[in-house]
Amino acid sequence: MSGDKAAIRGWTRTQSRLGRQAARPVVVFGLLSSLLGVGQAWCVATVLGHALVGLVSGGGAQTLVLWPILAFAGLALLRALIMALSDTASAKAGIDARRRLRGEVLASILTGGPALLRKTHSGELATIAVDRVEALDGFFGRWVPASVLWIAAPLLILLPVAFIQPHAALVLGLCGAAVPFGQALFGIGAAVASRNQFLAMTRLQARFLDRVKGIATIVLAGRADDETERLGQAAEELRQRTMKILRVAFLSSASIDCAMVIALVLIAIMDGKQAMALLSGGVSPALAYTLTSGLFVLLVIPEFFAPLRGLALAYQDRAHAQGAATAILDLPEALPRPSPDGARTVNASGVMVSLEDVCFTWDPARGPALDHVSFTVPAGETLILAGPSGSGKSTIMELLLGFIQPDSGSVRFNGAPLDSIVPDSLSRMISWIGQKPVLFAGTLKDNILFARPDADEADLMAAVKAAAVDQFLPSLPDGLETRIGEGGFGLSGGQAQRIAIARAYLKNAPILLLDEPTAHLDPATEKSVFESLQRLALRRTVVLATHSAAVHMFNGRRVDLQMGRVVARQGAA
Amino acid sequence: MKISDQTDGSTPALTDRQAILRILSLWHRQAPRLIIGVMLALVALCLGLVLMQASGLRLASSVLGEVVITTALLRWVGGGRVILRYAERLFAHDAMFRALADLRVWFFHSLAQGAAAGLGFRRAGDMLSRLVSDIGTLDGLYLRILVPFACACLTLPILVIQLGRQSVVLGILVGVLFACSAFLVPYLIAKSGRAEGERLGKNLAALRIGVLDLVGGLREIRAFGAEGRILSHVQADDAALLAGQMRLARRAAYANASAFLCGQAAIFLVLLAAAGAFSLHISALAAVGILFLTVAAFESAGALTRAGLQAGVMGAAARRVVEVAVSTPNATQLATQTDAPEDTHIHLEGVKFRWAPDRPLVFDGLTLDIPAGARIAILGPSGVGKSSLAALLLKAAVPEAGSITLGGEEISHIKADSLRRRMAWLSQATHLFDDSIRANLLLGRPDATEDDLWKALEDAAVADVVKTLPDGLDTWLGEGGIKLSGGQGRRIALARTLLTQAPILILDEPATGLDAQTEQDFLRTLNTVTEGRTVILIAHRLTGVETLDRIWRLSGGVATAAAA
Repeated sequence: MSGDKAAIRGWTRTQSRLGRQAARPVVVFGLLSSLLGVGQAWCVATVLGHALVGLVSGGGAQTLVLWPILAFAGLALLRALIMALSDTASAKAGIDARRRLRGEVLASILTGGPALLRKTHSGELATIAVDRVEALDGFFGRWVPASVLWIAAPLLILLPVAFIQPHAALVLGLCGAAVPFGQALFGIGAAVASRNQFLAMTRLQARFLDRVKGIATIVLAGRADDETERLGQAAEELRQRTMKILRVAFLSSASIDCAMVIALVLIAIMDGKQAMALLSGGVSPALAYTLTSGLFVLLVIPEFFAPLRGLALAYQDRAHAQGAATAILDLPEALPRPSPDGARTVNASGVMVSLEDVCFTWDPARGPALDHVSFTVPAGETLILAGPSGSGKSTIMELLLGFIQPDSGSVRFNGAPLDSIVPDSLSRMISWIGQKPVLFAGTLKDNILFARPDADEADLMAAVKAAAVDQFLPSLPDGLETRIGEGGFGLSGGQAQRIAIARAYLKNAPILLLDEPTAHLDPATEKSVFESLQRLALRRTVVLATHSAAVHMFNGRRVDLQMGRVVARQGAA
Repeated sequence: MKISDQTDGSTPALTDRQAILRILSLWHRQAPRLIIGVMLALVALCLGLVLMQASGLRLASSVLGEVVITTALLRWVGGGRVILRYAERLFAHDAMFRALADLRVWFFHSLAQGAAAGLGFRRAGDMLSRLVSDIGTLDGLYLRILVPFACACLTLPILVIQLGRQSVVLGILVGVLFACSAFLVPYLIAKSGRAEGERLGKNLAALRIGVLDLVGGLREIRAFGAEGRILSHVQADDAALLAGQMRLARRAAYANASAFLCGQAAIFLVLLAAAGAFSLHISALAAVGILFLTVAAFESAGALTRAGLQAGVMGAAARRVVEVAVSTPNATQLATQTDAPEDTHIHLEGVKFRWAPDRPLVFDGLTLDIPAGARIAILGPSGVGKSSLAALLLKAAVPEAGSITLGGEEISHIKADSLRRRMAWLSQATHLFDDSIRANLLLGRPDATEDDLWKALEDAAVADVVKTLPDGLDTWLGEGGIKLSGGQGRRIALARTLLTQAPILILDEPATGLDAQTEQDFLRTLNTVTEGRTVILIAHRLTGVETLDRIWRLSGGVATAAAA
């Protein structure tokens, strides 16, 4: 977490500006609704004032005043309509903003690519894209309009009050003006607390996802109770942090309650005194006016404070936005991947792959992962990368895939530096098979078609056959339509790997990168997977990282790595 | 697939009400706090009503030349209102979060009871959604439904009695309007919003799974240039979610407007009465009092419309949370179970097993004898059921027929916890947690000393690697051990297994991911460090350095002895 306050404030400000345009209808409807409320209060006060004066003057000859009552009903209908419109507009503002932001976050994650996973837990990334953005609903739907309305609406209400009862307007104005001080005082505290709380929330979620993924390990190690207890502690921490925010956040709304009660009591007492003074002079228009206007002001007080209360309620929404800003700002900027001048495509058939004096370091504390590594694989030939685990094989794969860029030296395809190749063209050139393919939620067929969604049935079946997926299809309940769950339930490692091979067949790229594709397979399965791979490798440029003994099935050059250095070469590598 | 089937087939249908009652019963520990929260809310509400009425009366009564409401009373009511409202909100929220923490823990615990063999078709993303979102949603159950509902139940009689004293007709009419606003409109919106709420929950879960796939599959996506496709896929999920939210918001807007109109109609009636229309004669002073009371009462009922709207969402959330607990298989929780016996002789007799009724048999009459302290290997190509054997021994799966005994005791009669404490298991599915190396190791034996940890790392041939790490044992492993290479991660997992003091070790392909030399070294150390324990080595081949008492070969659903 960078915690860069200026950046967070900048982000919030930009988002507010973007949100304010969408929130304009909400603000207009809100102001209209306040005005209608004032009108209604006047109608009610007129009726009650009239009745009270009638009471004083002896009651008997009361005339029925109907117009304010009918006006009240008319205004009520209008106000209901406007409230519905305002609610809908505010929901729309929230939804539009979330759609935009989620798109931006996902684009950032895709831009960051696999390297992002080394820094951040996938659960945390998913939380940002789903929950953080979802939590921003209130920011755009409530906070942004409320941040305009809380000044505009009370001022609008204060105008007629000042006209009718100046001293009441003064009291109301002073009480109203005191509110922002309380807000600022408590709001800052709430915002600080909120950032910590969101950290706890994210931690709890990441922890839970991780524990759920490994729940078999936990249960079979007999540690379910301990872990449950620890989760309980995390939940308890979350509660404490949340309460810290709420203790302050509720103070800010209590300060509004307080201001409102003071205004209510003061005006009731002041107008009461004034009316009593006037009463001594008998029934007069002045008494009637004081009564009516006094009642009017009392009725308007809740309307006056409603927008302020709306702001206090929405304050948490603003704090959420700041929490989200911290997380979102940590993501890489969603730029289209650089396609520098002279970006080119490389002839798609027959690609020569070479590393020239490449160095790369993941973590300076642990020394270089690759130390001046060079090799060349001519078009259509196979290079075997050998070496113990941790010797740098996977790092080379990530470089070739363009997931990471070398610190120095260059990776070249047909002589063109990797970073000068159009990304689309690059991904079209490469097929990659790792240790454990990721199988997406969906059917087996969807998972194979992932490589080329527009492939026709014949191509699909050819890939299925070539990768020997058809051999285990009969053992699946729905054949190609079998749904596969998290990590491919029911599929063995060999079967999952065959799906990856089918993908590679379907994609039909000139370069084939194999990163320990048989690491989790037994020799019999390994042999048959290698046979499939041998067929796949025909006429393609292949880089195969492995320490399998069965690698002699592949003819080609060989480079032995140790601690990121080339220690031996066979063939003209 | 005994475990994953639970979500599709045998889940008993739960109604929302049952689910909500179940949730409420889970909160019994926090009941006193929750009840006090409601009480505080009720008192605060009463003071609010009194304050509004008193202010109106204070002004109105001045026309009679007497002070009905004293300044002191106003001050006390006002002050009390502010303080109680604050206390109520704080207390109620605190009680609620305590209850939610209990719920989270209960949920994880229930999951642990049944998910031993892996999550199967229940995807982790969906689980996360259930725990975090659904349980978070349930805070509304108390704060936004129960508390306002209790308040409305108190307000209704106050309102009816106060108005009824002036005019029975008026009291009844306004009472009916209040009931409409506080109960009928919320009920109707809850009913109509139910299906939508459920769909929203599903949409959110689908979005989450989509996003998790996108994040987890970043390599595949990059390698296949599928950014655009996967993004549009996730955005389609997003659009479905947002469209559903918009529909719900529109419905909420209408409901809000209807509830508002009920309140306005009530004020309209009071005004008519005050003006003396329809012979609803009430005294002008009383009219002022009841008008202010009516305004305040209907304002407090407004919260229930929103509650009704969320009731559907909440019911669905409660049901999904409870379903997980109810659907846990009970095979592991028989009443008459005992602790595992001291003797560690394992015997399998005529075991028949398949993962699901529509799958082929994995074992068909498997008979196997593993004496205490024996070192045996079980060999066979992948897919022959080697891992199923481990699942059966650990009671992560149940055989269709045949018997499995430990020390002469049927394992179905042994408590799962106790059984698993006797067997340590290492497999390809063994998970490395996003935590420090130390925390990962301590999962094997929480009371292990520093020396124990290093010895286990030595035995697993990974101590040298850990020593070179700047933070040593406190190095953060990252998700699934991503900060280490595959082989190093496996060895950390092995160290964890060796650290346990279980007398039986089930090592399912322990050398996977190790290069040939390391594998041999590792198996040699295994010969010495497992002295005195039963070792069941499940592998597809032997390297020749293992010291073994017996070798079994699995094929055709049975085990045959091979030369040792």
